[in-house]
Amino acid sequence: MQTVARLRGVGYNALALAVGIVSGLTLVAAIGGDLRAASISLLLSPISSVYSFSEIFVRVTVLLIMGLGIALGMRAGVWNVGAEGQFIVGSVMAMYVAFHVNSIPAPILVVLMMLAGAAGGLLWMVVPALLKARFGANEIVVTLLLNLVASNFLLYALDGPIRGKASFGYLISDMLPPDLRIPKLIPATRLGFGIVIAVGLVLVFYLLSERTSFGLQVRTVGRNQEAARYAGISIPRVYMVTLLLAGAMAGLAGAIHVSGVIFTLDPGYPSGYGYIAIVVAMLGGTSVIGTAVASLVISYFVVGAEAMQSAAQVPFALVYTIEGIILFSLAAGQYLMGRRKS
Amino acid sequence: MALAAVIAIVGMAVVYQLFGMLFLEAVLYQTLKLVPALLLACLGELIAEKSGVLNLGVEGLMLMGAFMAFAVTFLTGNPLIGVIAAMGFTVVLGLVFAFFAVSLRTNQVVIGLGLWLFGLGLSDTLNRAFFTSGATATIPIIGDMHIPVLSTLPLVGRFIFQQNPIVYVSIALIPVVDFFLNRTNLGVKIRAVGENPRAAETMGVDVYKIRYIAVLIGAAFAGAGGAYYTTTLLGTFILNVTFSRGFIALALIYFGKWKPYRVLLPLIIFSFVDSLQLGLQGAGIPVKYFFLNMLPYITIVALIPILGRGAVAPAALMEPYKKGG
Repeated sequence: MQTVARLRGVGYNALALAVGIVSGLTLVAAIGGDLRAASISLLLSPISSVYSFSEIFVRVTVLLIMGLGIALGMRAGVWNVGAEGQFIVGSVMAMYVAFHVNSIPAPILVVLMMLAGAAGGLLWMVVPALLKARFGANEIVVTLLLNLVASNFLLYALDGPIRGKASFGYLISDMLPPDLRIPKLIPATRLGFGIVIAVGLVLVFYLLSERTSFGLQVRTVGRNQEAARYAGISIPRVYMVTLLLAGAMAGLAGAIHVSGVIFTLDPGYPSGYGYIAIVVAMLGGTSVIGTAVASLVISYFVVGAEAMQSAAQVPFALVYTIEGIILFSLAAGQYLMGRRKS
Repeated sequence: MALAAVIAIVGMAVVYQLFGMLFLEAVLYQTLKLVPALLLACLGELIAEKSGVLNLGVEGLMLMGAFMAFAVTFLTGNPLIGVIAAMGFTVVLGLVFAFFAVSLRTNQVVIGLGLWLFGLGLSDTLNRAFFTSGATATIPIIGDMHIPVLSTLPLVGRFIFQQNPIVYVSIALIPVVDFFLNRTNLGVKIRAVGENPRAAETMGVDVYKIRYIAVLIGAAFAGAGGAYYTTTLLGTFILNVTFSRGFIALALIYFGKWKPYRVLLPLIIFSFVDSLQLGLQGAGIPVKYFFLNMLPYITIVALIPILGRGAVAPAALMEPYKKGG
């Protein structure tokens, strides 16, 4: 019976996604884009070459790591809308360590960079988490405001602490030296060992949420605060821990992205992944396995959408519109599912 | 209130000492000029939240309002028609939002974020599709009024008596909204369904209808707030033109403890810091622009522990309601 319900859930989510894609393509046609080219590139380009295919997993690496943290928070009932900012701060911290810590063997330094990224994302979350736990301030608004601060923090870092030696007045960092880059998994692609870290984290998060008392506490707080209080669970503590963890994950994702894929920072670095990761967590029904599957599906369409954008000559912002529509149709799917149950 | 007055006077004195009278006048003028967009969005969303519906997508509505006002003004040459068209369009979007939030009882955070991303993407997509071939399209804007005699006064002349009509209208709406929520039949019903929908229904109030109305009023206000950017401040449309002010509006409602009059003080503080940092960027002081950019947002976050104390949201905020269930 449970399998049937779960399959039905998958069905509704797939339907929601399809609605989003069809609306997106309709919009492309409405604004005069090339519909044929748009459909083909959106749906087929991700599997048209080894490189494009590997790009899916480049996106999975980032979206999955961020999505795991966001999904855990959602299950407790708190929303990290600040992954975008934490991602930026994590990337900056990793670069800072790379360029300022000397006389340490490269492999250890790379590990340090990852830890610095996670620490940066975590620190960026301290204020929203404290304000939520202590004053009940809406974490959605605070994390979002800190995204705006983060993009300025990036400019500050590029102007000073991680300014490139050969930047000639441009705001750009130096390229990461080859020995400080995360090794490639497949040569001649951008896919590196970051994906292995992401898969490892899936396991960690699965154990954390399914096999520990903390995981149980998170679910209880999310489902029924009254029951949680009755069971002696500290709700503010659960909020704090889940939010900080989500921040650390987003920071780590940034560190992995910059040292595995991009290798340099400039003001154009912010990517929108932090917001797409929310869609991933939502599509995955906030479960660990669901998030993993959803990150794969969404990454497929992210790669497709980028190809579509150049093939059909439509603005990049259209991708945001499609994301918005997908969120609405996911919500509608959950309504239909809820109605079946009752 | 006394504390606020002291802070305001000290702040003005410091600015005067450092940069002189002209600069202070310019900053004060800009402070009030920036008020309407935020205030309109804030008052509208306050009404929606009073009914128990959180519309996180205010920012998306503002963006769509900004674009529609721009597009319609461009076609008709009349900013007023533009503003009205913007409000009409955001009401339609509000209707979709209300259908999901009220009738389908979906998670308000999810569709709120959805509405934001939708507006962010669509406003820019449409603008690029229709307006950015060739030269930047510009529209006539709603200009400042010069109230005779008073507008020549020192310090307050430009600040208070030389603003555009929307500034005065939006501030006049504060007592109107307060009266509406507290003294009218509909307003009392809105508050009732936001506090205890079950009890309200028992009293014969149609919870869904009232929530729809509240969300639609909020959407219209948000549309007008967004329209202010294109029809009054800029005269053109750019990507993300409202610059996350819709989210600031949400924070200001929290600071204002869901009371129309109380929203004004934090709003003026934010607006003052924002116009001060804009002024300082032009004044060429030895502080980098990215620090100045951060200032308004950091101010808002720093104010939470001070102004956020004792804020109590409407009891049924974000709680979907099932009729007769």
